[in-house]
Amino acid sequence: MSVQPGAALADGSAYLVCVLEVRDVTRRFGGLVAVNQVSFSVQPGEIFGLIGPNGAGKTTLFNVITGLIPASSGHLLYRGEDIIHMRPHRIAALGIARTFQNIRLFSNLTALENVMIAQHVHTHSGIIAGVFGLPPSPQEERATRRKAHDLLHMVGLTNRADEIARNFAYGDQRRLEIARALALEPQLLLLDEPAAGMNHNEKLELSDFIREIRLSLNLTVLLIEHHVPLVMGLCDRIAVLNFGELIALGDPAKVQNDPAVIEAYLGSE
Amino acid sequence: MEAFFSTYGFLLVSMVFAALLGLSLYLPLMSGQLSLASPGFYALGGYIAAGLSTKVFTNAGPLFPVPLVLLEMLVAGLVSAVVAVVVGVPALRLRGIYLALATIAFIEIIRVLALNLEITGGAVGIFGVPQPFKTQIEYMWIAAPLLVLTMLFLYRLERIRVGRAFIAIREDELASGAMGIDPTYNKVLSFTMGAVLAGVVGAVSAHFLNTWNARQGTFDASIVYLAFVLIGGSRTFLGPVVGGMALTALPELLRAASGNGSLPDWVAQFMKDGRLIIFGFLIVVGTVFLPQGVVTPRMFRRRKASPPAARTEPAETVETVEAAQKENPA
Repeated sequence: MSVQPGAALADGSAYLVCVLEVRDVTRRFGGLVAVNQVSFSVQPGEIFGLIGPNGAGKTTLFNVITGLIPASSGHLLYRGEDIIHMRPHRIAALGIARTFQNIRLFSNLTALENVMIAQHVHTHSGIIAGVFGLPPSPQEERATRRKAHDLLHMVGLTNRADEIARNFAYGDQRRLEIARALALEPQLLLLDEPAAGMNHNEKLELSDFIREIRLSLNLTVLLIEHHVPLVMGLCDRIAVLNFGELIALGDPAKVQNDPAVIEAYLGSE
Repeated sequence: MEAFFSTYGFLLVSMVFAALLGLSLYLPLMSGQLSLASPGFYALGGYIAAGLSTKVFTNAGPLFPVPLVLLEMLVAGLVSAVVAVVVGVPALRLRGIYLALATIAFIEIIRVLALNLEITGGAVGIFGVPQPFKTQIEYMWIAAPLLVLTMLFLYRLERIRVGRAFIAIREDELASGAMGIDPTYNKVLSFTMGAVLAGVVGAVSAHFLNTWNARQGTFDASIVYLAFVLIGGSRTFLGPVVGGMALTALPELLRAASGNGSLPDWVAQFMKDGRLIIFGFLIVVGTVFLPQGVVTPRMFRRRKASPPAARTEPAETVETVEAAQKENPA
């Protein structure tokens, strides 16, 4: 099936290609519909929030976008290209990076190794060049190492490069996951509850950090978050899921006052 | 010295081969794949060398030329690589214990083929594989460089892009995919490298053992090689080397210890004949008390000590990814 890039934009703002367009995406687990006919699009440079009560299907949608779970039906356009049947490593190579809700670092390896591994798609030396130290391998290895140190510095883990990931405090593991995701040089960054387990100050720092990297790295950010003040303060637009369905979409003020959202979070009387 | 080498030449070369076979199992394990296929490729390589040297290179003179042995090793390596890719692509879609079972099936197929084909000499096997050397210790000229080169290769591999990709898959296959690493390609690559090594060792061993038959490279051998890796250590290439050498020397040490007459007869008998029982016992004890083996990377790498994580929060929702993967084994 052919899909016209960006043709579906409602506001008629030219034929702008959105970074990510989710079209009627559905995912069933047996009889349970975890994600039901969800559609929205994410514009370049946007910080887009995905919220909803526990079990609303947010993480499932993330897993579908990154190819870890195949969708039951629907389309996913990344910069106009349909990625719905792609395997995870192909999607990552296109420029979609993510973090995990229940942190999935390479926990027996050092912080530096974690970030170096994620530069895989941007390096190309094969096994022969690598083993014999032939060009371009030594140069690439040095550049990989240097960039990994830079990224660790950027997320505030300077001088902790040689520590084993498993031994990091919870908040630092989240930071390390972000550094690892940024090592992919993504255009779209998916953050699954990045502030979970952080205290108030750390959450403020995280908000500032996300805004900062959006500008400096020219990123589009899609994030799942439970902490409402953080989402409202940080996101340009928000989509609300409940029982797998999209129940509201718009800027923070609009979503906050939406009766359906209030009902989903507080229950109806 | 001469007396020592003529007595222990066979054992010393066997120890080097054991180290190499342990490494052939370690290679797929680098990318987290428990493959027991090494004995199958070892048998295959041996049949290639035995067949070539007894049927093709027949006018080689009193001492079989070493370059022809090297050529056989090359052929054995190439054939093993092709077979490994053909077997590996479907087999490596299986995970954990199912992969181990599939590789045991592969060993059985090789064994049954060897027993029934004419070219492999049926149940009798191939006799009188020509000798390139006058004494067995001289096989060290091939075995030792092969081990040194393999160890250098693995030392480098653990420090470059490809090796990091393997280790990432071992640590967390799902996360490595999300980081842009192709799990299938890298798993097949590590499996194939292990197969090539086993095939090459098989080719030399056919000369070394003078005869080759279907008793080489059976399921028993899988367990022995697995013991090399599990007891020696599965997280650094030095583990299988130490494990392979120590466990090959062990029966000789036990034999020596049992022969001094101070032990009761049944203990001495058990120490001589109970090798597999002792290996099995060591695997169980080793995995309980030394899960990473005797040699661990921590012995070599200097890492800053850091306090353990203050708290680790449990996952807040059910992880649906694994469930989905079971549902759709993509």
